Amino acid sequence: MSQKKLAFVFPPFASDYPDDPFINLNGFDDCFRKFLSRAAEFADPDLIQFAIPSRTFLEDELKTQYISYIQACSLVTWFREKGVVPAYCSGHSMGIYAALFQSEVISFLDGLVLIRQAFKEIKKVTGKQEFGMCAIIGLNLDDLEQLIRKEKLNLKLAIQNSVCSFSISGAAKDILRLTESAQKEGALSTRVLNVSVPYHSVFLKDTSAIFSEFVNQIQFRSPKMPIVSLIDQDILLEEHALKDEVVRNLFTSLNWYKTQLYLQELGINRFVECGSGKGIVKNARFIEGDALFYTANSFTVILDQNKST
Amino acid sequence: MALITENTRKEVTEIVYNFFADECEVDIKDIHADTNIINDIDGDSLMFLELIEIFKKKYNLDIELKTIGKYSVKHPVQTIGQLIDMQLLIIEHENKLLELDQ
Repeated sequence: MSQKKLAFVFPPFASDYPDDPFINLNGFDDCFRKFLSRAAEFADPDLIQFAIPSRTFLEDELKTQYISYIQACSLVTWFREKGVVPAYCSGHSMGIYAALFQSEVISFLDGLVLIRQAFKEIKKVTGKQEFGMCAIIGLNLDDLEQLIRKEKLNLKLAIQNSVCSFSISGAAKDILRLTESAQKEGALSTRVLNVSVPYHSVFLKDTSAIFSEFVNQIQFRSPKMPIVSLIDQDILLEEHALKDEVVRNLFTSLNWYKTQLYLQELGINRFVECGSGKGIVKNARFIEGDALFYTANSFTVILDQNKST
Repeated sequence: MALITENTRKEVTEIVYNFFADECEVDIKDIHADTNIINDIDGDSLMFLELIEIFKKKYNLDIELKTIGKYSVKHPVQTIGQLIDMQLLIIEHENKLLELDQ
């Protein structure tokens, strides 16, 4: 199976864990437990208690980020051992750290360090202010921006996932108001996200200087495969560009819609969502193009079928 | 404005039943017109959206999602039967859906 047309996408951290997300991946659990054990030793001993059926840590943003990163790195390693290496990769939201691991820019442990430090800087900047995020589906960008302006809400577009699917960041009370107004305006789905941080918005701009200094101390190697930026859809090949992406990722609006269209222009026709959920796969239904989107589980079924024929 | 025939209803019903059986991983025999989408088979609003996209492509519909959203606020869908009825109205009336309430 040619991998020239394959891209791995690393999703944002999980808001829920479906049952048996990796059931078709033979031996994956051992691989995951090894990474989990290293992360528990290095970053947080509680991590070793992680278990999908108990929905562990879903109320703890930092631990959930760790778990998503550990799952993603385990998937990278598991697929690599099967000889599956994509042509491109991209990190959606906090999936950027797993993309760096996939392209061998950073080590597994450095990814944990970056996640921890980013979270620390974010918390310093947000302080006691109440922030949040919401996902709105069914309105277009103009409708949303108009609503925000009309109601004078202290909110910013954080992520565009398709022409009708967005994540918004900002003051927690305004997030609630927006979800109510958006429903009245005709949004088919509105959901307040389980986060207390206004990711990918200007509200986190003050993380820039100190986090940049920190990132500069981490060793970034030349990428073994190109990473496509969700900020401006550049192909990131240089150390300074990769570091800049990591820093700006916290306070700059992201566009997954444009990124995956660009990846399709580059010839990608299969995407694998390297995480436990299937948000990116589901979102693909609202995106034009003929590319196929798989979860790690469903992609493994295809691999096995191809092997047996 | 499309004409809804018995055949259209049959086709829509089949797509909806198969979609939910697949998405919610339930036996198609356990899905009925009065099945509650959220309480009985653990469905969600994203699935509703996915179905709209399927029908938009299949019947080449000219309808804005927010038109459906506004209609749904007044006519909330809870069961599979209600969902099929709404999909048929969407196919029949497209962007003029809201005129039904006038």
